[in-house]
Amino acid sequence: MATDSHALTPQDHSPVAGLAHDERGGISNVVLGMLLFITSEVMFFAGLFAAYFNVRANAPQWPPINAETGEAFHLEILPLVGPATVLLILSSFTCQFAVWAIRRGDRTAFLRNIGVTFAIGVTFLIMQGIDYTILYSEGVTLGSGTFGTTYFTLTGFHGAHVFGGAIMLGVVLYRGLAGQFSARHHDAVEAVSLYWHFVDVVWILLFSLLYLLPGKSPAGV
Amino acid sequence: MATTALHPAARTYRSTLYEWVTTTDHKKIGVMYLINSFIFFFIGGLLALGVRSELAQPGLQFVTDQVYNELFTMHATFMIFLFIIPILAGFGNFIVPLHIGAPDVAFPRINALSLWLLPMAGLLLLLSFFTGQAPAAGWTSYSPLAQDRPLGSVGPGQDLWIVAVVLVGTSSILGAVNFLVTIFKMRAPGMTLFRMPIMVWTVLVTSVLGLLATPVLTSALIMLFIDRNFGGAFFDPRNGGDAILYQNVFWFYSHPAVYIMVLPAMGIISEVLPVFSRKPLFGYKAFVFATAAIGALGFSVWAHHMFTTGAVYLPFFSLMTFLIAVPTGVKMFNWIFTMWRGQLVLSTPLLFALGFLSMFLIGGINGAFSAAVPVDFALHDTYWVVAHLHYVLFGGSVFGVMAGLYYWFPKMTGRMLSEGLGKIQFVLMFIGFNLTFFPMHQLGLAGMPRRIADYSSTAGWNDLNLLATIGGFTIAASMIPLLWNIFVSLRSGKPAGDDPWEGNTLEWATTSPPPPYNFDHLPEIRSERPLFDQRHGHAAPAATAVIPQSASTSH
Amino acid sequence: MASSPRTGRSSPALFAVVIGAVLILGVIAMVVLGFDPLRVSQGVISSFFPPQAVTDRGEHIRQLYDLVFGIAVVIFFVVEGLIIWTVVRYRRKPGDDELPPQTHGNAVAEVVWTVVPTLIVAVLFVASWLTLNTVDAASAQPQMKVRATAAQFLWSFQYLPNDYDPVTNKDAKPLLEITEPEGPDGGLTLPVGRTIHLYLQSPDVIHAFYVPQFLFKRDVVPGRINSFEFTIKDEDAGGTFHGQCAELCGEGHNKMHFDVHALAGADFDTWLQQKIAAANASPSPPPPQPSGSAGSPPPGASAPPAAAPLSLVAKDIAFDTAALTAPANTPFQIQFDNQDASIPHDVAIHEGSQSGAEVFKGDVVTGPAQKTYDVPPLKAGSYAFFCTIHPNMAGTLTVQ
Repeated sequence: MATDSHALTPQDHSPVAGLAHDERGGISNVVLGMLLFITSEVMFFAGLFAAYFNVRANAPQWPPINAETGEAFHLEILPLVGPATVLLILSSFTCQFAVWAIRRGDRTAFLRNIGVTFAIGVTFLIMQGIDYTILYSEGVTLGSGTFGTTYFTLTGFHGAHVFGGAIMLGVVLYRGLAGQFSARHHDAVEAVSLYWHFVDVVWILLFSLLYLLPGKSPAGV
Repeated sequence: MATTALHPAARTYRSTLYEWVTTTDHKKIGVMYLINSFIFFFIGGLLALGVRSELAQPGLQFVTDQVYNELFTMHATFMIFLFIIPILAGFGNFIVPLHIGAPDVAFPRINALSLWLLPMAGLLLLLSFFTGQAPAAGWTSYSPLAQDRPLGSVGPGQDLWIVAVVLVGTSSILGAVNFLVTIFKMRAPGMTLFRMPIMVWTVLVTSVLGLLATPVLTSALIMLFIDRNFGGAFFDPRNGGDAILYQNVFWFYSHPAVYIMVLPAMGIISEVLPVFSRKPLFGYKAFVFATAAIGALGFSVWAHHMFTTGAVYLPFFSLMTFLIAVPTGVKMFNWIFTMWRGQLVLSTPLLFALGFLSMFLIGGINGAFSAAVPVDFALHDTYWVVAHLHYVLFGGSVFGVMAGLYYWFPKMTGRMLSEGLGKIQFVLMFIGFNLTFFPMHQLGLAGMPRRIADYSSTAGWNDLNLLATIGGFTIAASMIPLLWNIFVSLRSGKPAGDDPWEGNTLEWATTSPPPPYNFDHLPEIRSERPLFDQRHGHAAPAATAVIPQSASTSH
Repeated sequence: MASSPRTGRSSPALFAVVIGAVLILGVIAMVVLGFDPLRVSQGVISSFFPPQAVTDRGEHIRQLYDLVFGIAVVIFFVVEGLIIWTVVRYRRKPGDDELPPQTHGNAVAEVVWTVVPTLIVAVLFVASWLTLNTVDAASAQPQMKVRATAAQFLWSFQYLPNDYDPVTNKDAKPLLEITEPEGPDGGLTLPVGRTIHLYLQSPDVIHAFYVPQFLFKRDVVPGRINSFEFTIKDEDAGGTFHGQCAELCGEGHNKMHFDVHALAGADFDTWLQQKIAAANASPSPPPPQPSGSAGSPPPGASAPPAAAPLSLVAKDIAFDTAALTAPANTPFQIQFDNQDASIPHDVAIHEGSQSGAEVFKGDVVTGPAQKTYDVPPLKAGSYAFFCTIHPNMAGTLTVQ
């Protein structure tokens, strides 16, 4: 048996030997790192969700009465948030198509799908922004009691994550156009797509909780 | 002493300030973590001296009530977020890649980011002293006291605090991702999970805790920030919010945080004891399972900080808190039996490890009192708790840090620290620590609450407070031999060589300090003590010849 | 080669001699200095225990403490003893060049020191759960209901009617309110031997009601009504027990003290009736006279005419002025308007500065409310006026 079969010599891999080129196989470092990071982001949202559930449970009525109008707060699904949700779900599909494309080396399909995903992401943000302006003009703000605070905090931080995801998609698009990805080397695409799916799943949860979950009224009403 | 001869083409290890500032080398980053953490240790220590000076006698002699509240708030904030959590991450940074035979961590640039976030956060905290009112709501920053209202936390100081702690949290989370990928993916061939040094296991579990718990703190602090600055209604009862919600979200992080603050120190002890007992660690697998159990159970006990709020399901949290004593006890016995029938070498690292064992024992025992809920009704928010937390965090973690410092200073710098000065520091620190914190058990039992700037001269607390202050200054005195030791040893300490302690683990298989790429040559890894095996011939004949005779490389 | 390790020189026997010598010298030193070693050691021992409980539930807590303490002491001596023994016995001696036996572990030992601590912990848990059920029990019909209100930075106490219910009847008017938290004339006076249900409320931040001699505390949380029950033991009638806020509540946290006075049942009933009668009998202060009547002095008075009342407003934890003037040697009034909702303020006047002699202290007023203070005649000079609860609210009163 060769005495130094496992010894590293200076002629071996550079100090970044642990990266995606690891011949031992298995998940790449970048993808594992992204999965762990997503886990931490899940916990961040968990804290916000826990606060939301607590607020809802303690409130005698949900949505509560808007002190300024005398009526309960109300969120509109149309014309903005519903279609935005559909678009975001669609973008997860296009994102996954892009990943499959680059895995088989189809750079054209990859670029097209990433481009569409990126565009949808930006559109989602614009639609959410418009929705926010409408709500603010109706007097529903971050300071509008428990309802406004939880709504804008939850959707706002989700939006911030969409924004971060869009930037990452933009970088991937740019690098893709520069020809930096191939069937063998495209860790960044895998990692960013995982992040994008996470952002989408969080939105599906948020949308269901904030818009679809039935409210509660005080007993007897 | 053996010194690995490096390849002739290896660059001489001489670095400039620019190299230090821009480095992504985990060893330099680890050393900078240590330097940064010690700076804030001293700042936190000075704040503690301020607290103790005021409390030495009844009556307000030196500071106002408000300033006193700022002193203990910032003392704890610096110690927790800028000293103990980062310094253990710093040791992890330096040693984990070496322990697993890797050339660096998985994401070296993110590693550098994790480091540099810390002095930034520290600066923000220092800045808060100049904003008119430094944070004064305790490091726990409970709402509604932390809200922006008259008689609450008015002004930007508290907001700077929030931002600083979020920056530290980001550093922790990124560091956790880095450590986990490194440990799972970059171990040298032969280094299976159950051959990793216990230090690496503790860093692994600590990283899992950091990954899962820290983001929850971030969410709590962001919600508090929104309350303070945007009229939010999360935690302010005046807006319909819930003050207890803050405590739940806060402690969900801050309880696992205490294990983040102690597990790597336990890892250090688990490295030092076998080497200085000249025996393997007793019950390696038990250590692994106990560490994992502590990590898991650590998520289930957070509300034991809230027993007196009337808003907690008491029996569950009491039971889980009691249960955590079991894996901790397992570790204690395994450490003792590592030494049992060994040949103990009472060098400074071992002395600090022994100090850890004794002090952590006391800290664990007095914690059990608080787990008994009705007793906690008497002891919560009194000096009993101050005694408990300092016995585990100072008697435990800081003594562990000191053990690690004396143990690994030779590897980091190539020089030995003076044993004589080390022993003087140990004795002063041990005596000073116990003088300061043991009387706090009695003070708490007698009814002295926490976080009070002053106490009545007729309460009967005068003598013990004076004693505690004398102890505090003794601890401060013990820093002098430490600093002198470091200063003198860096300049003219005895050269350490590769392996001054007859160590067991891989870091001793390379030069002191190691070259940038860590290892020219790795021994065979067939157990958790690869170097021991090599030294005592159990492994296949591991070559001592190092230098390939081929031509120089492009390095 | 690794540097050779230092070896120790002392032995177990020397160790024991040193400890013994320290103890004997310690006793001699105490006697020489005039301390009674027996009392000192009793004092030391008792310092490891909480104070004698004055309530029934506090007694249960004390018993649980004693159990935990006993187990803790045993565990400490066993484990610390093991550590010390190991260090003393297994030090490397010169000539120890062979490695010691390289034991990796022992499965039986692991089981033993997992199972035994689990059993110990189970015992402690059961004991503490049983005690908790006693301590936290709430009776269907407590004999008395009282409320402690914690505001930044003052305790006040309200004696509640028996039909008070925090949910259905929360606006029930108290029978009596005590706004002086300490001292023989203030504090929370309670009867012994009766079940007391104490409600806790705060309008501002979290406080905690803590009486060391109850071995008990409970948080006072704004937006939440906590409560607990207790019975003061009969033998503690006539006692005064000190209490203090135990949850950081701001600048005045360390000044939020209160007293609990225990009276025998009959004495308490008398005390309560007298207090209620006194509170109902004292007439509400007459409305201040308009000073428009052209200088006609009160009949028969030879003193200078009564001065116009001073106006003082408290808002946002601040007075609306830092300078007041009043005539010398004449009684005068301060019309005090506390506009801070739920926040107690008062006005005190001291000679010269806040540390000078007190010449007037007005009653505490919890806003929003108004009160007219009648200040006695003052000699000419400079005085400090301030709120005793929030001393940063201050100014100078010039009397001339």
